[in-house]
Amino acid sequence: MSKNTPAGMAEAPRPGIVGARVQRREDPRLLTGRGSYTDDRKAAGAVHVAFCRSDRAHARIAGIDIAEAQQAPGVLGVFTAADIDAVARPIRATSNMPDYRATEFVPLARGKVRHVGEPVAAVVAENRYLAEDAAALVSVDYDPLPDAADPEAALEDRVLLHEEAGTNLIAAREFARGDVDAVMADAALVVEDRFRIRRKTPAAIENRCYLAEFDAGRQALTLHGTTQVPGLLRDALAEIFDLPGHRLRVVAPDVGGGFGAKASLYPEEVVVCALAMRLGRPVKWTGDRMEDLTATSQAFDEIVRAKLAFDADGRFLALEADVIGDIGAYSIYPWTASLEPVQVVSFLPGPYRIANYRGRVRAVATSKAPTGPYRGVGRPVSTFVMERLVDMAARRLDMDPAELRVRNLVRDEEFPYKSGSGIVWDRAGFQDCLRVTLDRFGYAERRAEQAAARERGRLVGIGIASYAELTGIGSRISAAPGMPINTGTERATIEIDSTGAVTAAFGIASHGQGLETTLAQIVAEELGVRVEDVGIVHGDSAAVAHSTGTYASRSTVLAGGAATLSARSLRAQVVKAASHLLEAAETDIEMRDGVVSVAGTDASITLRELARAFYTEMRRIPKEARESLDLSASATYDPFFGTTTAATHIAEVEIDPQTFGVAVRRYVVAEDCGRIVNPMIVDGQVHGGVAQGIGAALLEEVVHDDSGQLLTGSFVDYVVPSAAEIPDIDAAHLDTESPSTLGGYRGMGEGGTIGAPAAVANAVADALSGMDIQINELPVTPERLFRLIRPDL
Amino acid sequence: MKPPAFKYVAAGSVEEATARLAEYGDDARPIAGGQSLVPMMNFRLVSPAVLVDIRRIAPPDAIEEADGHVRVGALTRHRALETSPLVRERFPVLAAAMGHVAHLAIRNRGTIGGSLCHADPAAELPALAVLLDARIHTASCSGERIVEAGSFFEGALWTALEDGEIVTRIDFPLLRPGTGWGFREFARRHGDFALAGAAATVTGSAGRAVEVRIALFGVGETPVRATAAEALLTGTGLEPDAVAAAVDALRNAIDPDDDLHASAEYRRHLAGVMAERALGDAWARVGAGAGGGAA
Ligand SMILES: Cc1cc2nc3c(=O)[nH]c(=O)nc-3n(C[C@H](O)[C@H](O)[C@H](O)COP(=O)(O)OP(=O)(O)OC[C@H]3O[C@@H](n4cnc5c(N)ncnc54)[C@H](O)[C@@H]3O)c2cc1C
Repeated sequence: MSKNTPAGMAEAPRPGIVGARVQRREDPRLLTGRGSYTDDRKAAGAVHVAFCRSDRAHARIAGIDIAEAQQAPGVLGVFTAADIDAVARPIRATSNMPDYRATEFVPLARGKVRHVGEPVAAVVAENRYLAEDAAALVSVDYDPLPDAADPEAALEDRVLLHEEAGTNLIAAREFARGDVDAVMADAALVVEDRFRIRRKTPAAIENRCYLAEFDAGRQALTLHGTTQVPGLLRDALAEIFDLPGHRLRVVAPDVGGGFGAKASLYPEEVVVCALAMRLGRPVKWTGDRMEDLTATSQAFDEIVRAKLAFDADGRFLALEADVIGDIGAYSIYPWTASLEPVQVVSFLPGPYRIANYRGRVRAVATSKAPTGPYRGVGRPVSTFVMERLVDMAARRLDMDPAELRVRNLVRDEEFPYKSGSGIVWDRAGFQDCLRVTLDRFGYAERRAEQAAARERGRLVGIGIASYAELTGIGSRISAAPGMPINTGTERATIEIDSTGAVTAAFGIASHGQGLETTLAQIVAEELGVRVEDVGIVHGDSAAVAHSTGTYASRSTVLAGGAATLSARSLRAQVVKAASHLLEAAETDIEMRDGVVSVAGTDASITLRELARAFYTEMRRIPKEARESLDLSASATYDPFFGTTTAATHIAEVEIDPQTFGVAVRRYVVAEDCGRIVNPMIVDGQVHGGVAQGIGAALLEEVVHDDSGQLLTGSFVDYVVPSAAEIPDIDAAHLDTESPSTLGGYRGMGEGGTIGAPAAVANAVADALSGMDIQINELPVTPERLFRLIRPDL
Repeated sequence: MKPPAFKYVAAGSVEEATARLAEYGDDARPIAGGQSLVPMMNFRLVSPAVLVDIRRIAPPDAIEEADGHVRVGALTRHRALETSPLVRERFPVLAAAMGHVAHLAIRNRGTIGGSLCHADPAAELPALAVLLDARIHTASCSGERIVEAGSFFEGALWTALEDGEIVTRIDFPLLRPGTGWGFREFARRHGDFALAGAAATVTGSAGRAVEVRIALFGVGETPVRATAAEALLTGTGLEPDAVAAAVDALRNAIDPDDDLHASAEYRRHLAGVMAERALGDAWARVGAGAGGGAA
């Protein structure tokens, strides 16, 4: 060991735990039905809520008659806005973004309803059956208000959704670089279209569920719930109910998926807390699928007019876009309504070198469920639009779309590269992802096969999509535009207790990503113990002093960074303690697999013995030395800017020329997600994300009629892909450490969903390239293809 | 999505079931596999005060051949029909169609009687019953009767059953030798109800079709026989022109609905495509001698 290595650390041999395909420790319990979800939690004396929800999209509430419901069997009470507003302080999603208008957060409808599914009254009964029976007896007298469902019409402000805002235009923003108009005017070639991905819903397998318990003796409130953001919720509820953090705890036990939809504050969360305090009994609400489809935050829903100018060699010259984001009825807390649509324009230039850019966005309120964060935020839509433009340009140039991408993707020597919207890409494998994907796919060979298939009249198409995103965002940038909440740091505390066990506590909240395993791997490697020696605590606002939670591909980067920092300082403490116990110099102390030893000797001590010596056998370490030691370490990590994640997807589809059914036959992804902690988990994230993206491309669509009535209120009508619709997915990972984050990790949880809609759309367009039609709207259902291909029928 | 309270009674015999249904009248509903009834109750689309469980009124999965028919007990589950060696031999078209009904878990509980009585216009089994001229046996307090499949389905979720009447059995008359079959449907996802589908049998002799049957589903209020198309094809060798004319005829004869997943025009188009493919399969099987029945 070299002399100038501090504290025997830097040269600690890498046991290779980071990078190993460690079995997910969550799986045995989750796959054998032994997980513990919120609804599994039985609180003595719990009562159950059923919400009476609006069946109108836009109406004034003339009166609510609760008398009959109150008399129904088993009913403890029926509550409306006034009851909640009496105890819950108002809260609103604010932003310092100019041209943003904050609107109210409404636990139960006040005076009017703004979307179908909005909670109007809460019925509390001894069980959910009785609560539903009684909810059916609540009679709400509605005065209809004019339709406010169409986003383009809503921009005209003839009908206002939020009178206090004075307009339906809740947010607006423009990014600009260069003289776009002049370049557009001079450009030899331009492609343009109007694009749309229809409104989607995240459809996590576990519906939302909340259980609030109020301990009257301690005046303390605990909320168990399906949330991705326990820390963020704790802070919001502390404001709403004016409770200090030590009397308010939010716990996310096992959570069955979120995809962003469980990352916001919901009316139902406020209502169960308010009612638990009022009734003095635990109050539970278990949402059902219909409630999930009507009242959980939804995704996308932008109309994008976009235009790309390029020269005869295919060099991109300028890009312009005008986006209308249909944000639904409310500005979601804390992210605000600008979250999704603004990111469409900030990410639109993608991984390409485009000198001139103008992106304008208007976020408009309509009488639909609010949109909120959804896996990929903004980027599924921006990537769909940009990648369609790229393929349209390739077609115009009669150039292979892969070649056109090679010419325009930012090259390695150009990093860091600042995009037209101001995003700075650190070094990431934009070109490498494309190259590896084409290679794995066997691009040249597949193109030849495609040509042969076409000869025989088959509609086979190949589609590529490249994108870049920011992940692991630090304190310099807010996860949502102008939001006054810090999302850029994470904290970890690692302790060795008196049994010698290692427990690492985090504020993030794994809800299917396998973070218990990923973080245990990082801690184990940094500390020098086995993975199974590390217990992980997460999903609990009491675990650390401050945290927001898990979203935006941040947890491995941020919590992993905090784990690394705290494990390193804990290791230094262990080394110090061991040097007393083993009577050796600190620089000679090694730690591996939980055994601390003196290099080159057989003197060693297990962590268990070390902990015993430190906590119990008080004579073994002198008092003064012991007092300067601590087998506990905390650290906060802030990546400051964050890092770049990039990928290329390629899909091959075949379309039945008579039924217009689209089958995805082949799928390859190459992703640069930095240093990989667990390739198996990364594969799983890619597979799941791609499946969701295929859903967005081909199947999933929230449908409203003109008045805003929801037509997709069950899984019969809202169609998510099943295993049969998803091909084998080949995922390749470029293992290139990020230069910008501790450990070199990049976030990767959202990528699959970002690339897939675009790749599938391009493949469908390619399959139909012999016809004079445009693929500019997703999902490309058989019905839509029928209308495009056979307008004669 | 919780049903209102209801009373549950389990019947041990056909007599007991019909007696209970008569006793509770309009308030009662039989329940078999529950795969359609329970979701409707959870949505509160129906709220029967009494459920009469009929699962024990007869042995489950009763399938036998007698008197020129294959007889299938009402409590036979989809999965049993799909996997029965007798059905596979005598009515491969029926076995094949069952593979398209929902998912395995549902096929393991859902029953033939339940599917017929639920009468979803896009369901496979009602269409097969109509295709194969099945005879539906019923029982009630006032006695037993036999209803031809062709007149059993009266509308969407609407059958010829009287109040208090249950289905006990369905008989499929054996196919003639030399009969080929085809079954095609188009659904957005594996296991979904079809947007449109077609089943066909063609009995061939000396290169001609001597009998053609085509049943369509998902294209209107009930499954329908495409009688005009059948007539156009009888006596032909299913040449492309003949098939095209028949497909035109059947497209003109149906009156599909618009819904969220498919417009009427698209359904009409699809029905033709499915019929054409099913006919092609059936005719190929006649040629290959691998048809149903005794072919
Ligand atoms: C997710 C899903 C997907 C599905 N997909 C398909 C599909 O692709 N194709 C398809 O055909 N079906 C499909 N189904 C429906 C289902 O397969 C059948 O409708 C079901 O199996 C009916 O049988 P059952 O025994 O479950 O009937 P039940 O649900 O018990 O009863 C259905 C109705 O029939 C009545 N009934 C039942 N038995 C009798 C009897 N013997 N006499 C008189 N009345 C009776 C009941 O009162 C009730 O009105 C699907 C269902 C689900 C949940």
